[in-house]
Amino acid sequence: MTIREAQSQVVQAQRRRLFRPRAGDWAVRLGAIGVFLLIWEFLAPGWNPLIIRPPSAIARAFVDLTESGELQTALVISMRSFSAGLAIAVVLGVFLGIVTGRWRTAFNALDPLVSAFYSVPSVALIPLIGFIFKFQGETPRIAAVALFCIFPVLINTQQGVRNVDRGLLEVARAFNTSERRLWTDVIIPSSVPFVLAGIRLAIGRGLIGMIVAEFFIGLVGLGYLIIQYGNVFRIDRMFVPIITVAALGIISMGFVQWLEGRVAPWLRREQ
Amino acid sequence: MSAQVARISVEGATKRFAAGNVTVFDGLDLAVRDKEALCILGPSGCGKTTLLRSIHGLVRLDDGRIVIDGADVVAPRRNVAMVFQHFGLMPWKRVHQNVAYGLELARLPAATVRERVGRYIEMVGLHGFENSYPHQLSGGMQQRAGLARALAVEPDILLMDEPFGSLDALTREILQDELLRIYQERPRTMVFITHSIEEAIAIGDRIVVLSARPSRVREIIAVDIPRPRTVAKVIAHPRFVELRDRCWRLLREAAA
Repeated sequence: MTIREAQSQVVQAQRRRLFRPRAGDWAVRLGAIGVFLLIWEFLAPGWNPLIIRPPSAIARAFVDLTESGELQTALVISMRSFSAGLAIAVVLGVFLGIVTGRWRTAFNALDPLVSAFYSVPSVALIPLIGFIFKFQGETPRIAAVALFCIFPVLINTQQGVRNVDRGLLEVARAFNTSERRLWTDVIIPSSVPFVLAGIRLAIGRGLIGMIVAEFFIGLVGLGYLIIQYGNVFRIDRMFVPIITVAALGIISMGFVQWLEGRVAPWLRREQ
Repeated sequence: MSAQVARISVEGATKRFAAGNVTVFDGLDLAVRDKEALCILGPSGCGKTTLLRSIHGLVRLDDGRIVIDGADVVAPRRNVAMVFQHFGLMPWKRVHQNVAYGLELARLPAATVRERVGRYIEMVGLHGFENSYPHQLSGGMQQRAGLARALAVEPDILLMDEPFGSLDALTREILQDELLRIYQERPRTMVFITHSIEEAIAIGDRIVVLSARPSRVREIIAVDIPRPRTVAKVIAHPRFVELRDRCWRLLREAAA
């Protein structure tokens, strides 16, 4: 009953929603960004150039850093640790989420630890990770990203597995399901949206972990570019890696959304 | 009772809930004959659904036993299929996949699965909606799919747990007629739970009226309205009003 109720609530929410997607939406969005950039461009010269630079200067800095290859090098380094850390977190988080969601003993064993680690701000553990991995190479940065990412994935997966519609479990039993088919027919598909929502949350946290680790552990990648150009007051160049991180986040989340449409087409919105 | 054999027999069934504080039914006896449509009618909360679930082996009895075809029921059987009030369709499966569900679990050959899925989708009037997801269908159409899923395994016994209870009145009557037509084409043992007197009279050969908790069989009423039936014909039948009044009186006593 719960899934149907949830679905009908979503449908109702969609009907109630004031803003339905329309063709003109994108024009307004792009226009607003354009206006914002224009105001910034015209007001910037009046400020101290050490604090504010106009968008045109940032655009030039973007070209400079791309031509010198600095940006690409940093981006590759950052993305390596980000994607490796996220992948580890997803594999481990989904596995632990399933185990703790399905078996009470596993839940009782792991829940206190998970709660403890989750309530400590992950940033506070960055120096510890540095020490554990001796500040050597990309391993501590990958570990940092994984630490930032794992909890939303784990907790969401666990909720997904535990929130399986009891009615559907009974249907499966009534039709004499095997344990394997119970997983493939019922538990896994009903957890998919929860897992993907967890991954979306993890992406945002993972980028924080990546940058913080690059600040404090590695001094490489996009995080290092931010520190480096900040220290020499090249605000225009400092903005380049910041905007790149933002783009990385938007693209990754868009990818997960696309993935959701592919692996969970029954959730695709109607109309 | 005639010489017909009991297909399902419930003997002294007892079920308690909530650490023994609530007795749902106590020493309940019931016999379902082969190929009859038996409706179980009772006030809400009288344990109709629990009884049906025990008949399918989904719920363990605290005492007594249920025998189908001479064997004690301990787990769901392959020749019994159930239709649920909440439809119980998997939102991630398309209609044809939902209908194929029981067939796949029974490990039937792919060709048989395809043939039966097509045939039963046709039978319940869902032709053209094979590839829809449940949420794209109306409640009535979802329950047609639920019915097709149960019929597709070609069960000897069909258990119906208030299958039309959550539908609007018009859709309910349409589906009742569909069920009557399908039953007419191939009568099979059917236990149909309902709290609607009209529905019980329209569907059932006999109506078992349960008392309030702890439930027992209050009375068994034979519905002497000939088949083939439609809901409209049953309601217009001279016997209908008398049967309804009798059920109504019994239910009122039970609920009081």
